[in-house]
Amino acid sequence: MSALIEKLLPQVAGEDDGSFGALRRKAQKVLMKHGFPHRKTENWKYLPLGLLEKRTFSDAVPDRAATPSLPTYPFEAGVIHFHNGRLDPDSCRLPDGVSLTGMLPADIDVSALDDTGPADAFAWLNLARFDQGWKLRVDGRPDEPLVVATTCDDEFDVAVHPRLCVELAEGATLTLIETQGGPGAGLINGVLDLRLGARSSLTHVIERCFAETALIQRTAARVSDAAAYRAFILDGGGPLTRQDLVAELVSPGATAGISGVATLSGRALVDYHTAIEHRVGGTESHENFRILADDQSTGVFNGRIHILRGADDSHSQMNTGNLLLSENARINTKPELEIHAEDVTASHGATIGQLDDDARFYLRSRGLSEAQAIALLKYGFAAAVFDTMASGAVRDWLTDRLKEHL
Amino acid sequence: MLNIKNLHVAVGGEEIIKGLDLEVGPGELHAIMGPNGSGKSTLGYALAGRDGYEVTDGSVEFDGRDLLELEVEQRAAAGLFLALQYPVEIPGVNNAYFLRAALNAQRKARGEEEVDSMAFLKTVREQLKALKMDEALLKRAVNEGFSGGEKKRNEIVQLAVLQPKLAILDETDSGLDIDALKLVAEGVNRLRDENRSFIVITHYQRLLEYLVPDRVHVLSDGRIAESGDRSLAQRLEREGYAFLDTAEA
Ligand SMILES: Nc1ncnc2c1ncn2[C@@H]1O[C@H](COP(=O)(O)OP(=O)(O)OP(=O)(O)O)[C@@H](O)[C@H]1O
Ligand SMILES: [Mg+2]
Repeated sequence: MSALIEKLLPQVAGEDDGSFGALRRKAQKVLMKHGFPHRKTENWKYLPLGLLEKRTFSDAVPDRAATPSLPTYPFEAGVIHFHNGRLDPDSCRLPDGVSLTGMLPADIDVSALDDTGPADAFAWLNLARFDQGWKLRVDGRPDEPLVVATTCDDEFDVAVHPRLCVELAEGATLTLIETQGGPGAGLINGVLDLRLGARSSLTHVIERCFAETALIQRTAARVSDAAAYRAFILDGGGPLTRQDLVAELVSPGATAGISGVATLSGRALVDYHTAIEHRVGGTESHENFRILADDQSTGVFNGRIHILRGADDSHSQMNTGNLLLSENARINTKPELEIHAEDVTASHGATIGQLDDDARFYLRSRGLSEAQAIALLKYGFAAAVFDTMASGAVRDWLTDRLKEHL
Repeated sequence: MLNIKNLHVAVGGEEIIKGLDLEVGPGELHAIMGPNGSGKSTLGYALAGRDGYEVTDGSVEFDGRDLLELEVEQRAAAGLFLALQYPVEIPGVNNAYFLRAALNAQRKARGEEEVDSMAFLKTVREQLKALKMDEALLKRAVNEGFSGGEKKRNEIVQLAVLQPKLAILDETDSGLDIDALKLVAEGVNRLRDENRSFIVITHYQRLLEYLVPDRVHVLSDGRIAESGDRSLAQRLEREGYAFLDTAEA
């Protein structure tokens, strides 16, 4: 048994904890059989899992401090707050048309997880070990966005496995904003399932930056008839930030867009693996991802677009751009197009560049300091990614956050 | 205003400016002409303090200060402005935002208050109108997708907003149509006063019909080979630079 298994999977002895018993046992079995990914596991080679092996995670979630503080936002929004891995019921407020209930076994679909190897080990681990799963149901069109805030404090030194499912009813619309950050040296191993009913529309914003916390997050969106999934990501990384993001376009007219910026400094690392699956024809996707890596940081982006056999008349566009801001930073980008259908348009472009000396001189010659010039150029490089977002308070907030990240 | 003595500038280890002397008094407008590759843009860059333009000898006094001691942005705040021969495109950076940030950075460096944003916008709009530029250009990224002539006019907008003490215009007239050339010249003439000086680098005597120079210099192989009044520009227009060879021979 590997060191990580011993560390992260201790208490599940296979005993039945009620309704999830069968699922948990299956997860346990897959994990025991295949273990965790290692350097040779496809799609996991850049992630320094050794960092998790070096850490010790205590068993108990720290007791709740007086009142965990919630970040503030310059717009009206409903809030769900997870602190140190637990829902903080006191600070939750749901917009009209949104309900929150405990998750049921029927809400969990493991059919997409790989049980033949270690590639999805952390998702299995989540299933084996999650504490209380939650389900958000959206009916109608709430006029406020909903923030799902994940925070932790210095005491946070455990491994937690949050699990959330968001279901949009037919025709529903939601702006879901995940904000994540905090200082504790624990592990958050989360799973988020997004289900978009016919003609529904989900704008999914992720804004995160971790000081010490390791994050392994799997997010999967299932997009049905004429529904639209749009992700806007601003990620400052952390000691170990792994994001898997899968969008499955399962009915005609379904569309997905992923727009992401990773702004990395210090020793921060992000490892992004996105996959857009065009399962049927008449579906569309676009993806635009930028990494800015300074100091000794590392940014990995693997973007896969998969147009399946028979998914004819589908269209996809991917664009990635990278800015290396220091000699010791590393960026690894790999766009992958896999096309098995006809009448398809798909394109991708990828570049890795450095700050333009001409531009830097130009800005300074007009009076901006070196630092201001660099910040402005970085901002200019990144900000265009959010151009596809509807204008309004949330976009203004996100671009402000971008300025702060830089 | 500007006093350059025995200036030597090397680029990539190669000496390009080879002992240049030039004095520009307050309120004066000097034209610099000269063959391609003679070092005109290099002089502009060296005065603006661009990295890679290494001053190996000589001195430059600007408005009573040692210019060569200052960083690029300090030179700007001290009142030096260089309109580039090839203005740079800055994707993603809003033109109006950039200009205001630049103005405020200069004001801050001089210990002045930030500019009032309404007043700022008013000034910029006036300048755009005077130069017959579309206001939509304010909302676009700096120079991105601008036509050649729009880029040049945008330099003049910056010049008018930043109000420097000395402006070096590096071939701002190249690529402008006849009407735009007149607008740019008028823009420059509006800014002329007894305290503001100009160095205008150009290949064409036409510009100098609108911007009447106090002195005309010919730069050749890194040195001022000839100086004179505006009739020198007319002579160059007729005869080209051939006489330089005979003069040196
Ligand atoms: N970065 C550089 N590296 C090497 N040589 C350079 C560099 N920049 C300029 N030079 C050289 O210096 C010389 C002067 O160039 P400069 O651009 O100053 O000429 P110019 O007088 O402005 O010409 P033009 O009229 O064509 O604009 C040229 O021979 C040019 O090739
Ligand atoms: Mg030149």
